[in-house]
Formats: sequence, structure tokens, C-alpha cells
Amino acid sequence: MRILSAFLVFCAIFLLVSLGLHSQAQGPPQPTPEQRAAIDRGRTQFQQACGFCHGPDATGARGPDLVRSALVAHDVNGDLIGEVIRNGRPDKGMPALPLTAAQISDISAFLHARSKEAVESSGVPSDYPFEKLLTGHADKGKAYFEGAGGCSRCHSPTGDLAGIAHKYNAIELQAHMLYPDDKPVLATVTLPTGEQFSGIVSHIDDFTVGIRIGDKNGWYRSFPRSEVKLELKDPLAAHRELLPKISQTQMHDLFTYLYSLK
Amino acid sequence: MKFSLAKFLRLMAMPLLLALGLLPVRVAGQGLDPAALLKPPTDNWPSYNGDYTGRRHSALDQINASNVNSLTLAWAFRIRGSVIKSTPLVVNGVLYFTTPDNVWAVDAHYGHQIWHYHRASEGDHIGQRGVAMYKDYLFFETPDAHLICLNAKDGTVRWDVQLADSKLGYFSTMAPLVIRDHVISGVSGDVTDIPGFLVSIDPETGAVQWRWNTQPKPGEPGSETWPKDSDAIRHGGGMTWMTGTYDPALNLLYWGTGNPNPVLAGEGRSGDNLFTCTIVALNPDTGKLVWYFQPSPHDVHDWDAVQTPVLFDADFKGKPRKLLAQASRNGFFFVLDRETGEHLVTEPFIEQTWASGVDQRGRPIAKPEATPSPDGALVSPGSDGATNWMAPSFDPQTGLFFVNARRLFSVYYNTVTTKAEGWGGRDRILWANSTIRALDYRTGKVVWNHEIGDGESIAGMLTTAGRLLFTADNSGNLIALNPANGETLWHLNMGGELLASPMTYQLGGRQYVILPIDNVLYAFALPQK
Repeated sequence: MRILSAFLVFCAIFLLVSLGLHSQAQGPPQPTPEQRAAIDRGRTQFQQACGFCHGPDATGARGPDLVRSALVAHDVNGDLIGEVIRNGRPDKGMPALPLTAAQISDISAFLHARSKEAVESSGVPSDYPFEKLLTGHADKGKAYFEGAGGCSRCHSPTGDLAGIAHKYNAIELQAHMLYPDDKPVLATVTLPTGEQFSGIVSHIDDFTVGIRIGDKNGWYRSFPRSEVKLELKDPLAAHRELLPKISQTQMHDLFTYLYSLK
Repeated sequence: MKFSLAKFLRLMAMPLLLALGLLPVRVAGQGLDPAALLKPPTDNWPSYNGDYTGRRHSALDQINASNVNSLTLAWAFRIRGSVIKSTPLVVNGVLYFTTPDNVWAVDAHYGHQIWHYHRASEGDHIGQRGVAMYKDYLFFETPDAHLICLNAKDGTVRWDVQLADSKLGYFSTMAPLVIRDHVISGVSGDVTDIPGFLVSIDPETGAVQWRWNTQPKPGEPGSETWPKDSDAIRHGGGMTWMTGTYDPALNLLYWGTGNPNPVLAGEGRSGDNLFTCTIVALNPDTGKLVWYFQPSPHDVHDWDAVQTPVLFDADFKGKPRKLLAQASRNGFFFVLDRETGEHLVTEPFIEQTWASGVDQRGRPIAKPEATPSPDGALVSPGSDGATNWMAPSFDPQTGLFFVNARRLFSVYYNTVTTKAEGWGGRDRILWANSTIRALDYRTGKVVWNHEIGDGESIAGMLTTAGRLLFTADNSGNLIALNPANGETLWHLNMGGELLASPMTYQLGGRQYVILPIDNVLYAFALPQK
């Protein structure tokens, strides 16, 4: 029996360590289906038993916000939360609640999940809805595209931008609209002999320039900048000029127009 | 005790031999003479910024504009694991530097390890800026927000105290500041809504001497800048991320505080949110607030105001003034009278799009449309800031203030659907590019500009009396610039990034410049004859 427990503990540790290592590469660990089910049961239970005072999402109402609670932060599997639920806090007007161990465990899973959500609110989810960004007017966006924005000088709704809204999620579509940073800088290098090399910039600083001759598949060659003449053509120059100029309204109109091109 | 003639003769002869300089003199203690903290750094670099002024300027000139081209490697010291973001201390020939969980003592002449201290911890390991020193002791902050006192001689632990509860999201990155018998220590936090504070610790015992809270208590001055009937003020952020500065004559401690929380979602914390994003002047003996100035009232862009408040005395409008200057993360350069807090200059040091002007108190006025929104607000600078924790420098020879500045455009999203907690959104960075800028402290205008390439640099700066400015570009080159005009005098491709702020010292007649690249400390010097 003892050997079996030791073996199970070993397996559990091994599993945790592997999950831990795995999660380092993959971002924060996501709940398992069992944990998710416990969180869902806990949410329902919490809303019924605790939501009236602590708010249905646990951010506080008459009672304190539990997402920011020090007690929840220190709780492990309901050990502290359970004590408060079972005994109440008569001095603060909280009654003891006759919940089962399983219910308390689910509530604590829900509260920890809520704290985790707050911690992870520093990222915009990849499935952020397009609808939230569609606050402009497509017709005004079209006018800006063809007029003041100068977009139509390089882009065409039936050419390079056809179906553009299918290619990215909402946040990335807006980012690519403003600054499509996947466009390489073109360079022409002229040696003192007059010999010329053209290609795309692979490295550039004050001292050297390295280019791939022809295109991104070409051979790399570098030159000391003090000894050559260098001409650069940056396809993103117009976007950089636009960034400080475009208004929030123009940006939202343009996005709404681009979205309509799908 | 048995009499020994030989021993007697040795004892008698020793003073004579010492006087003749024939015996190697061993220094009994290698601790820090407190007076060294009040002097410009030369043979020592006894605090995070070298001295209390935060200028990151050295009076050393052995390495100078005429010979910097012959700079060579004196030694290198490699560590495994994380990159080096700390500024080393050098005291009596020993160099002390850190990474999260680790302190090393290294021979500052030759780069040999003397000891290594390691303490594994939970908490955010984002960076570690360095140790502080008092007599024979070092002070080190940890990712789980402890302050550890080590014996500088061998790295053994004298005491270990908890500054804050890491389970709540506190961690520590900063190098404390020693003022007399106060170890002034700050704390960090990011994703959880916890209040910031600064604490003064007794160097002998680890006991708390005083604590200054970023947020006032309800009813105290400043509390009126938070909503009433809400818990916002108790969860308002304002971390004390970076080492402050000190004026011994005025006995005032200057400190910048971090952004309020929730970070991008400000709807639940209407008001200026004092004393977040604020430069405060405190009495270092009591922790009492003397004056304050707020660079970013009601910040919603993560623009903490923790950048070094740099101190210098100079003429302003024809009058000699005691000044304090900060190039702040929000893109504005501020100059204050450090005796009174009177505002003198507010000027953007980078093209910014969030402020429509400056109010009567010298604070930028935020445009409502630059507030993060569900559909996105395009703003310069992005949340990483127009500058950040990397050290600026003030050079008394040219009278110029140098800042590592960024052009940085971001779209800020407020993604909150319920009560905002944590960040409440994020910005998507579009484009960043970095430049070294020299500012005229009298106007804030850019005197010269030196481009260092696309991306966000976090390289700090050092100026020296050798008419040099040391830093790095974004392509792996260390560079030395002429502080008067920004021209490059020396460069070397190191194949990695300067992620820390350089420092310098002179030992045995040789000047060393320490430039950490990724996980290696490099000591440069002139060739030995």
C-alpha cells in the first residue's frame, strides 16, 4: 500500500513537472476539461450562495471583491476559502453556509479561475470579435482610402487587398492595415568602381549594410557603408508618415471599409 | 606563552618594513566608507547610479575621445542562465553584480569570481538591477519581494526579510539606495491590483524604519484624487520600481512611482490617482512627503514615472538653481526646482500623439481620444514607453541631458466587459525605432539626435570626463559618441545586446568600462604598455 502511494505520488510529481515544462513553452497552462467543469459548477454555486453579497462575478458588491482578495491568493484547494464559508464571518455580517466539501472545492476552483482571468487580462485574446472594431463608416473609410489617406496610390481593393479580412484576426487586421511590417526594404549599393548591387536589406546599421542580391532568396553580400553609395527604398515609408497623422475616427472608418472587402 | 626571539624580531621589524613600503599592505576591511557615497565615483562605484545625483557621469578621463579607438578587452565574465540587467557596484577592488536570484562578487581588476550567492524563489524574474552597500554588507532584492542582507566578504546571509507578499503579485527588481543608516527599498508589481510603497530598512537588523505608501489613506491629502465609495484607492498600483536619487544638502530623497492599476482601464479610478506616476520628494529619515509633481495624471497607458530623477545645479533663466530632470516614459522631459518642486520645463522629447498641451502646473493634458478603447486607440508612445528603466545621463561638461528615446506607435485596446481588474486590455505595437537624444535642460529642445535603428532599445548610458558617451545601438554594436554632437567615435559589434546601463572605475592606474552584453560582463580598458 505504501509503495503504491509512493508510486502514485511519483507519477503525480512526474506529471506536474512535465506539464510545468510543457507549459513554459506554451504559455500559461489551460484548465483540463475536469477543471473546467469544476469551475463551471463553482460559478453556478457561487452565484447562488455568494453572488448576492460578492457580486455574480466575484468582483464585490455589499461584500468585498474576491478576485483581489489576499485570502483567495493564499488559498490552496479551498483550505482557507472553505473555513470562511463553513464558519462565516459573523463580525462582518457574513453567515456560515452549509455547503459540502465538493461544493466548496468547486467554488474555490471558480475563484482561482477569476483571479487568473485578471492576471491574464494583459493580453488581447486572439478571438477578439471583429464587431468591436467595426465602429466606423465604410463609405467614409473608402473616401479616406481613395483620398486623404493616399492608400490607393499603392493598394487596390480588388488587387492586393481582395479578401484581406479573411487573412487575419481582428487585432492583426487593424495592425496590418496601419503597419504591414512584413515588407522588406530595397537597397541599391554602388561601389567606387561604379559596379552596382540591388536587393533586399538583410542587415543595416551605421557601419555596414548587408543585402540579399535580387530578392529574399538571393545570396547575401555585405558592404562597409563608408565606402559605398547606398540608396534605400522603403515601401513602409508612407505608413510611417501616416501613423502620427491618421485620426482615431479615420482609423475606425478605414478598418470598417477594409472589413467590407471580404 | 613561550617567548620567541624570531617572533619578537618580526613584530619589531614590521612597522619599519611597512614604513619603507616593503610589505604588501592588506586592507583590514574591504567595506564601504560611508563618505564614498557622497563623492563623485572614481576608484569606486558604490551605488546603483554611481553617486546620489543619478547623472551617470564619471570624472575619469584616462579613456577619452583621443584614444577610445584603441579600447581593448581587459577581461570578460560569463554567467549561465539569464541576461544581465544590473549595474555592478565596485568597492575596494571588488565588483558586485546580480541577476534575479543571484549575486556575484568578482575581482574588479582581473574578472575572477570571488563568490556566488544563489537563492531560488517564486515570483516574476523580469530583471534585477543590482545591490546596495553599507559598510561590510550588501542588500539584494528578490523575485519573491524579500530583502536579503549579505556579508560582502563571502556572500553569506546576515538576515532575510519579506518586503511584500509575493502571493499577491509583488516582486522586486530594484537596487536599494543607502542613505546613512537607511536602506531605501522599493517593490514591483504588474498584473495584479496591489498598492505600491517605499520602505526604509535598518541595515543592521532588517527592521522597518518607515514606510511611505504610494496611495494616501482615505481622508489624507491626495485621497481626493480617487473615487469615493470604491476600493480603487486600495488597489491602485504605483510601484517603486527604480532606484531614486538624493540631495544631502537638502536632505531630500527623490523617487519616481509607477502607473496606477488597473493598467489600461481607468474607468473605475476616475481622478488624478495620486501619488502614482509621480516624482515625490521625501524626508529620508521619516518618509514624510515634502513635495510632488505628477508627470502623468490618471495614466491609462502604463507610463510609469520611475525613470531616474537626475539632479544637477545649473543656471536657469539667469539664476543658479538646484534642478531635477526626468525624461519620462510618457515622452515628456520635465525640469523641476528640487528644493520646492516648482515646475520649470515640460517639453516632449519624442513625437507624441496623446497630449494636446500642457496645463498651468506643467502636466501634459491627455486627449480623451487617446484613451484605450474597445475598438482601439492609436497612440505614440506605446505602453513600453518613449523611454524606460535604462539610465539617462547628464554631462556637466556639455550641460546636456541624454536619453535613449523611442518612436513607438501602438493601438491600445480596453477589453473589459465587467469590473476592470489587472491590465484590462493591452496595446498592439506597430512600429518602434530608437534614438539617442541630447536635450537642452533649459528648454527641453533636442540639441542632437543619433539614430540607433529599428526596435526598442533598452541600453543605458554613461558619460565621462573623457568627453565620451557610452551606449549601444540596436544592431549589436557598442558605441562611444561625442557628447557635444552625437558623432560616433568608436564602435564594436558584440554580437549581442546591451541590456543594462554601463559604468566605469579606475584601479591600479587603469580605467575600466563595464558593458554587459546578454549574459557576459565585458571590461574594456586601454592596452597595457
